Amino acid sequence: MSQTHKNIIETKNLGKTVPTTDGPLCILSSVDLLIKPGESIAVVGASGSGKSTLLGLLAGLDTPTQGFIKLNGVDLTTVGEDGRAELRNQFVGFVFQSFQLLSGLTALENVMLPLELRGDKNAKVSATQLLERVGLSHRLTHTPMKLSGGEQQRVALARAFVTEPAILFADEPTGNLDSKTGDYIIDLLFQLNQEKKTTLVLVTHDNALATRCQRTIKLEAGRQA
Amino acid sequence: MNRFILALRLLLRDGRSGELTILVLALIIAVTSSTAISLFADRLHRTMSTQAADFLAADLVITSPALIPEYWLSKAKNVLLDQARTAEFSTVLIENDELLLAGVKAVSSKYPLRGYLKTIKTDYSKETIRHHGPTQGEAWVDKRVLSALELKIGDDLVVGEKTLKISQLITYEPDKRGDLYSFSPRVMINEADLQATQVLQPGSHVHYFFQFSGSAQALSQFNHWIKPQLNASQRLMDIREDRPELGNALNRAERYLGLSSIVVILIAGVAIAMSTRRYSERHFDATAILRCLGCKQSEILWLYIYQFIVLGVVASVLGILFGWFAQETLFHLLKDLLPAKVASPGFMAVMLGFFTGLAILFGFALPPLFRLKKVSPLRVLRRELDPTPPSAWLVYSLALSLIALLIWRYTQDFAMTGTIIGGGLIITLLAGTLIYLFLYQSRKILPYMRLSWRFGLQGLLRNPRASVSQILAFSLTLLAMILSYTVRTDLLDDWQKQLPENAPNHFVLNVMPQQVNPFKQQLVQQKISNPRFYPVVRGRLVKINDIAVQQIVSKDSQGERAIHRDLSLTWAEELPKDNKTVAGRWDVTEKGQVSIEQKLAKSLQVGLGDKLTFTLGSQSVDATVSHIRTVQWDTMKPNFYMVFTPGTLSGYATTYLTSFHLAEENKHFLNSLVKKYPSITILEVDMILKQFKTILTQLTAAINYLLYFALLAGFTVLFAAVYSTLDNRIFEGTLMRTLGANRSLLKKAHLIEFSLLGLISGFIAVLMSEAMIFALYTYVLHLQYQLNGMLWLGVPLISTFCITLAGYWGVRGVVNKPPMQVFREF
Repeated sequence: MSQTHKNIIETKNLGKTVPTTDGPLCILSSVDLLIKPGESIAVVGASGSGKSTLLGLLAGLDTPTQGFIKLNGVDLTTVGEDGRAELRNQFVGFVFQSFQLLSGLTALENVMLPLELRGDKNAKVSATQLLERVGLSHRLTHTPMKLSGGEQQRVALARAFVTEPAILFADEPTGNLDSKTGDYIIDLLFQLNQEKKTTLVLVTHDNALATRCQRTIKLEAGRQA
Repeated sequence: MNRFILALRLLLRDGRSGELTILVLALIIAVTSSTAISLFADRLHRTMSTQAADFLAADLVITSPALIPEYWLSKAKNVLLDQARTAEFSTVLIENDELLLAGVKAVSSKYPLRGYLKTIKTDYSKETIRHHGPTQGEAWVDKRVLSALELKIGDDLVVGEKTLKISQLITYEPDKRGDLYSFSPRVMINEADLQATQVLQPGSHVHYFFQFSGSAQALSQFNHWIKPQLNASQRLMDIREDRPELGNALNRAERYLGLSSIVVILIAGVAIAMSTRRYSERHFDATAILRCLGCKQSEILWLYIYQFIVLGVVASVLGILFGWFAQETLFHLLKDLLPAKVASPGFMAVMLGFFTGLAILFGFALPPLFRLKKVSPLRVLRRELDPTPPSAWLVYSLALSLIALLIWRYTQDFAMTGTIIGGGLIITLLAGTLIYLFLYQSRKILPYMRLSWRFGLQGLLRNPRASVSQILAFSLTLLAMILSYTVRTDLLDDWQKQLPENAPNHFVLNVMPQQVNPFKQQLVQQKISNPRFYPVVRGRLVKINDIAVQQIVSKDSQGERAIHRDLSLTWAEELPKDNKTVAGRWDVTEKGQVSIEQKLAKSLQVGLGDKLTFTLGSQSVDATVSHIRTVQWDTMKPNFYMVFTPGTLSGYATTYLTSFHLAEENKHFLNSLVKKYPSITILEVDMILKQFKTILTQLTAAINYLLYFALLAGFTVLFAAVYSTLDNRIFEGTLMRTLGANRSLLKKAHLIEFSLLGLISGFIAVLMSEAMIFALYTYVLHLQYQLNGMLWLGVPLISTFCITLAGYWGVRGVVNKPPMQVFREF
């Protein structure tokens, strides 16, 4: 990993406005954040409050219409899409509500993929180890269709942590799971987070889950409450 | 390298999950078709060229009225060309007090260099193929020589001063030409006996044919060397000029092969475009994840391009193998019809199939692939974010350039390629607008429809742009199939019309004016109805606008040959029906006017209003060019380069010419004609006609198989294309089931939607095809255009049936599988 800055994520006056048929619509505005390495942050708010928009902007998946975001010291608004892709590849891991596994690939291949993109020759070994860590050593060759929701999310966790990212973005990781499986996944997420010393940005509408993070940021109608 | 290996892995994983099946199938069909047609066309072309060489009995022939210099022959020997020689002349044979004007052909030992002769020993014996002519002391003759001179096999025949033994009857002579020496009953002798006949004296009228064969390189070298040395009376023969009836048939067949290639490639292109589109849509999510995991846009594009290159190469290799087997099977099926020796498959044709396959893949697949590059990584959070579709300019210009290139390859004509592409584009745009308007208007009737009809129609209206492009894709596939079918049917019909069962197979020249009526009566008695007699005055063109023709025409041109011999001049109230006016007006009331054949006019650089001067015996006559026309040389009817208005040639020595059909078993009638009218000359073209018909039968069979192939490819692609559009329908159908729609409602709605899709596609295809066929017939194939009622009925029915069947089969899972299972498969 390259040099780590004092604040791994920094935003100033961050906002997003989208054009609609009725004129411009502001979906996020004036968000100021400072997140230190290893911190765990929960972003909470009602549906439509701008949680996912903020996550997309912080992760460099989308571009803001106002303000700036610095990721590990690099201002994302000054680099192009390819530059952001490179940053994602180096520093970022993701866990999504809908798992987002590649349906044609086995569990092992899904976990290997980010390592393969980096050209890592030990992709298979690392991926196997992490799948064992999440308790799926017996499911390596199964495609997502043959896995339960909980198992799919465990594969997604393994994929997110296999590159040992500096920051992990998790978008409602338990949203598609029953409460028992959800609890198991969250336990696993926090265990891995502590083991790998990853910065965690967790988007959720579950206040109980948010309390497990060190800090909570609340959004209301696109603004920091 | 890492990226390439990663691309390979992704490809393998995709292949294992079945994502590539339709795309690979479409690609294999494309390459199989293009390879099979390219190989088949190439082999057929070369076989036909070889057979064309058979019709000259050599690869290259120099005709000359005298022997050619010895060093020419030495040069041919030096470049390793095989040589043979024939000498043809007319002579009168007298046996048993019977006279016959025969065409004698003295052949050297190596004759024929290409092709073969066929002979029989008796009427009932089987034909024997012979690769040499008669040996010294032997004479092989046409059957009519025996009946006319009351001889039989084994009898002696005196040619000039030499007595020869008749040993065989000739039933097939490869290089039989349309001149006096060839069409008189044949007597073939060995060259070694020629001198002993003492028929040829200084000044005798004889035609020598110096024949050569060998490698293409040696022939080309010799050809270039000899051409500048030929004098005005010598020339090189060319199959397309010297056997126009065959040349024309071959040209048309080749054009059909070209058309078939374009048709199959277009069909395959549509399939690839549709299946790549499906492929890319199914890869939006995966691409978004890859982007999320740090893949750059260019890397994404290369990842897919690498995959497509590998896919293209693998499918192309498979396609080449299948294509190879397909054309081998085709030749195997045609073996009884094609010449015994078929040209071997050419490496270039295989490569052409391969590269055409890759070109189609990228021409039609790149635009949908470019769309993947634009997938936003944000899609992982917002699944509804679809990448913007590629610009229409990109989609169409790539595919259009490719099609234009292919059309140009076959037509070698920029203007025609431009016309076809431009016309096609306008028709497609018009058709697209028409479909869009139809869909737009049908919205208005939605509220008045029953539920199943409403759901069915809504399937098409939900995304009108997608529906328009789907209907256009189906229509284009159907259009390609219709074009292939219609052109083939009309081409064969035209050939059939050109050579009906009772096409004239005998020509009679030199009928005196006072003999015309009794001659006509005798023909009528033989049940030959209404024979037409054409007046003929022999004359030579000497001046054009008072300038000597030698100063005007270029060497080796058709015009140059025309001014070195007497032409058969005629007059007529009415021009033959198959002659078409190119310029001017045919006004029979004005004397001193002449109508001239278009190609000769061009070669002589003659236009309307020019004055032509002819010498007729010792007199001369002037005529003004008032009309220029095309002539159908391949109709086997009497044709003339120059037709004068009535009265212009009156008073000059005139004979008459006629043609009629006579069956093989009535040939003895000719002997009685010759006896009664000794001055006449009979040209027997029945054998040449038979040969021509055989060629047409072979070409017809080949063309039929090509059509079946194109249709098969078309139907396969149609099914594949329907399949590639089903994802949305399956998803929405499943959604409807979860909302409570019963199976019967869904079944009906699907049936209605696919039937409408098929019906509209069918109608649009017929509309487009009529426009295309009109243009194609009028400007390219020069065939008569007629609106085809059967197409308007048949095509929409067939397309409705096929698209409904394929579509209904594809979505059957929606009604048969539990909805949850269908959702999980997405």
